[in-house]
Amino acid sequence: MDPKEYKERMDRLYDILSGIAAHAGEQSKFRCPYKNRHDQCTANFGCRNKRKPRKEGEPPACASDDKLNYRGAWENQ
Amino acid sequence: MAELNDITNEFVRQEIDEFIERPEERERVIRLFSRARSEMQAIAAALIDGDNEAVDKLTQAALAAGITAIEIMDDGLIGGMGVVGIKFRQNFIFVPEVLACARAMKAGMAHIEPILSAAGVQKIGTVIMGTVKGDLHDIGKNLCIMMLRGAGFEVIDLGVDTSADRFIEAVEEHQAPIVGMSALLTTTMPNMGKTIEAFIDADLRDQVKIMVGGAPVTQEFADDMGADGYGKDALACVALAKQLIGAAA
Repeated sequence: MDPKEYKERMDRLYDILSGIAAHAGEQSKFRCPYKNRHDQCTANFGCRNKRKPRKEGEPPACASDDKLNYRGAWENQ
Repeated sequence: MAELNDITNEFVRQEIDEFIERPEERERVIRLFSRARSEMQAIAAALIDGDNEAVDKLTQAALAAGITAIEIMDDGLIGGMGVVGIKFRQNFIFVPEVLACARAMKAGMAHIEPILSAAGVQKIGTVIMGTVKGDLHDIGKNLCIMMLRGAGFEVIDLGVDTSADRFIEAVEEHQAPIVGMSALLTTTMPNMGKTIEAFIDADLRDQVKIMVGGAPVTQEFADDMGADGYGKDALACVALAKQLIGAAA
């Protein structure tokens, strides 16, 4: 593989990832980053917004309304 | 002009149809995948789905079938990640899904990297990353890791609740010139300073550059505890790591 060709690909990938990182920063102002697209919690720590899973075997449901500061619901230990 | 139905992979076709709305992006993505081999479409589909095991197997099989690493990157891995980026920007998916896709990307790149090494392409450097002792928050760290890997760094992820000893062991094991520590709680932030002190006690502080980050961390706090740098987000983390590796070299 030509190192120059590889660098071009990595630059393109980095552009995509940079857009993702920038959007993640914006999105985190209103939506908990641990909340997935199914409104389930993926965090491995306690959170007062966690609710029992909608179906058995699924991750806990997230009750955050994306309006109040979600960080206040995170439990520290 | 290429059309959606020219794409043979049903999942990729559905993803484009459902989630890519801007005409110029739609046209570009359809053009890419309509000329891509079915094997590449399958890699892209698995990556978009965040299925790292499938990306792992499909990339390995594609290389064994003689498909070049460049084609796999262009039409499979980066093509798929491009769709992920668009879906995320449009809020169809969120950070947990993106991180699953990044893990799938890594699984594919793991098969490309030996080819790169053989061609003389080296990683920029190795970074040890972890969330400090007592802290279980990992999203910020994981975004930094995604960006660092995308920028060409080798990253050793120590996960969450990482003790000072574990950071030190990892630096020694991997001969890493950079450590990145994350904390999200004001109660765990002091563990960054304790970890730096542990590096001093182990007589390793001069051999490693230490960068810190996390929501409550500031430049002032980083300076006070003796870190070499502070990154306010994942983009700043990469810029800082590049600066520090220059300083460490």
